[in-house]
Amino acid sequence: MSSVLLLNLAWQISTLALVALGLAIVFGKLRIMNMAHGEFVMIGAYAPVITSMLGLPGWLQLPVCLVTVGPVAFVLERTIIRHLYGRMFDSLLATWGIAILLREIVELIFGRGYQSVSPPIAGTVCVFGADYPAYRIAVIIGILLGFIGLYWWNTRSKTGTRIKAMVGNPNLAEAIGINTARLSAGAFVFGCCTAGLAGLILAPTVRIEPMMGLDYLIRSFFALVVGGLGSLEGLGIGSGIIAGTQTFLGAVASQTYGYLAVLTLSILFLWLKPNGVRSSSR
Amino acid sequence: MAYQIGLYLIYGIAAQGIGFLWGKTGVLPLGQALFFGIAAYVTAITLRAEGNLFLNLALAAIVLAVIAGFAFVLAALVFRGRNESGPYFSLITLALVMIAEQVAGTATSLTGGFNGMSGFNSLGNLDPFGGFYYVIVAATVAVSLFLFILNRLPVNLIAKAVLDNEPRMQLLGFPTHMIKGAAFAFSAMIAALAGGLFASHQGIVTPTSTGFALSAELVILTAVGGRFHVLGPLIGAVIVGWASTELRDSFPYWELLMAVVFILVVLKAPGGISELFEAAFRRVRPKTPTSAAPAVTAPETRFDKTPRPLRFEDVRLKIGVVRILNAVSFDTPATGIISVIGPNGAGKTSALNTITGNLSVTGGRIMLGEVRIDSRPPHTALSNGIGRKLQVPSVFFSLSVSENLAIAMMAGRLRMSDLFKPSTFQWRSKSLSDVLGHPSVPLKEEMTDPVEYLPQGHRQFLEYAMTVAAEPSILLLDEPCAGLSPDETALMTKLVQSYQSETSRLVIVIEHDMSIVEAISDKVLVLHLGKVLAFDDYDKVRQNPQVQAVYSGGTK
Repeated sequence: MSSVLLLNLAWQISTLALVALGLAIVFGKLRIMNMAHGEFVMIGAYAPVITSMLGLPGWLQLPVCLVTVGPVAFVLERTIIRHLYGRMFDSLLATWGIAILLREIVELIFGRGYQSVSPPIAGTVCVFGADYPAYRIAVIIGILLGFIGLYWWNTRSKTGTRIKAMVGNPNLAEAIGINTARLSAGAFVFGCCTAGLAGLILAPTVRIEPMMGLDYLIRSFFALVVGGLGSLEGLGIGSGIIAGTQTFLGAVASQTYGYLAVLTLSILFLWLKPNGVRSSSR
Repeated sequence: MAYQIGLYLIYGIAAQGIGFLWGKTGVLPLGQALFFGIAAYVTAITLRAEGNLFLNLALAAIVLAVIAGFAFVLAALVFRGRNESGPYFSLITLALVMIAEQVAGTATSLTGGFNGMSGFNSLGNLDPFGGFYYVIVAATVAVSLFLFILNRLPVNLIAKAVLDNEPRMQLLGFPTHMIKGAAFAFSAMIAALAGGLFASHQGIVTPTSTGFALSAELVILTAVGGRFHVLGPLIGAVIVGWASTELRDSFPYWELLMAVVFILVVLKAPGGISELFEAAFRRVRPKTPTSAAPAVTAPETRFDKTPRPLRFEDVRLKIGVVRILNAVSFDTPATGIISVIGPNGAGKTSALNTITGNLSVTGGRIMLGEVRIDSRPPHTALSNGIGRKLQVPSVFFSLSVSENLAIAMMAGRLRMSDLFKPSTFQWRSKSLSDVLGHPSVPLKEEMTDPVEYLPQGHRQFLEYAMTVAAEPSILLLDEPCAGLSPDETALMTKLVQSYQSETSRLVIVIEHDMSIVEAISDKVLVLHLGKVLAFDDYDKVRQNPQVQAVYSGGTK
């Protein structure tokens, strides 16, 4: 295997893990099947476009991304998602509507056409004897460090337990002093912001357009099906298997075969191992 | 105008298929255009080849069969793993349609690529602006009539029951994953029919016909029109389609408006437009309760009814790090009443769960006569003769008492052909008549009431009646007297005893009330911390020092 393929693999896996992280939080913890997850990736990807439209300096891309994605997620949580805790199927429908709404709004503002932006770090570096874009190397390392930090925080923090308590029994959770409104909004906004961040990171490498989110939704969903919900290790394994299969088959055969392969894999998992690789029961 | 309405009706037919699946079984397909598009492409290819009509019809039948088979297997597999895979299934169908669109756009030699396929005449060379319109209207009427008829048949009740309470359906012996698969296959065939009409009507098929946007639109039409009524999706397709042609060009926020309407329907009016219509109609003409048809004797149940002993051999059950059953072994007689007692957390309900397959054992085995029954899917339990009443009454809350009983009567008796016979609703068995005929059982006066308004005690009797309706050879009762008054408790014990004495079958009861245990038990099984503490007749168990220690709080 050539080192470029290996590096591509690392790039695909790390970015997929970042995209899927938000979905894992919102679906795994809040039990909201967020069909609009990909649209938050899409909005995040428009952040560099917005930044340059407003004539702002490039280092403001991250703040611009957060102030576009964050408030949108917050308003949606307070107006719509709030009513859907404990109603997973309705959450799927409502967020499906939200997804269409967000796509249409973005299309009205920016038009249907493709946009592209240039990476903040230009040039290539030589890794394992292959020239590879420096930006991608920086992103892979950044995501890796981010996940290590998150893992460290997750083993110490009780936030996950509080969210579990809140979703399991909101009234009891409030009775023992958990501010459910703040917690649920916080978790949802955090999940969406990681999606936006992923979009921002991916923006220089893809075509930015209103429909781009769907693909990310489906791939991160596949990663969760394979990896199982509820643990960061599962998320990593799932992203590895899905992105790995797709990248490898995409390189040796075609994108369509890669896509078909991960779809088949997901169906097999739902049938034989419905709780993913990280589940011990069944 | 007729041309436009024809197109709306075609979308309406496809949406009716979605409405059937989503409204009845709660399964939402997000990629219905897959079947629509495949059928459209096949039709286009066939019409272009201009073969003879007979061969074309044969081809259509084959395509429909393949589509139905694929849909059935897909849904059955996904729901076989887990009941709650609904959202996953929706996403799988979404992924499928996205692949299909990609393939249709790139396989240029087969599909004509992004430009699509055109240059063929419509079916039978009818004018798409005139004569073919009547073909579409006829198809719409036929599909609607067919769906209306299905509504009055047992299949409809079964689909609704799956949505209402899937675990109960499985304990009544229904393979729910296959029911969902069949419903999906049916909706896929309707979508394919619509797709075939579409190709003939439009004279061109492009990748968008099998794409994501069309799938999404069909779901919106179904939701807005109303998924619970046969005509709802049609109404949605015509109203939304007409409004869309009128407004799309002059009103730039049309798509935005549709998305908002869809979200509002989901949150505030799940029944859509048709529910508003129906509510208005019911105000003019209220629903008249239909009088009950006379009962007919139900056919015999189809499982082995010979009395067989139940044997636990070193059964272990571990969930996570918790050991729930620790090498449980016992051997019951083939008939009689056995009470299971033990402190909370002893593993009583879990033991029943391993018998019905709701929990898979992690060691040992459970034998019924010569058949090994552990770790099988719950819907196979009844085919081994095992009937079960759950601890918290598990019935179909959205259905009426008589509908609940009708489903219970089908359990273990239904053949494929009975699904389509109205007389199936009238089945009665002796065991059910015995329960209902008892002067003190409260259910007779509330046959048409929805179960959700029934008090707890009445629900217990209803679930008991539903469980014995199939005349199981092993009856598992989990605290049947919980929440009952002393009179009702006496009645329940009497019913259980007379069922056992008349059929001489095996009854296993979990019970905390020692006076009941003393009154009914042939043998008593004491479980404690996942182990068998004692298994003997009542007096010997009471004198057992270990049992006394557990119950009176002595040292272990």
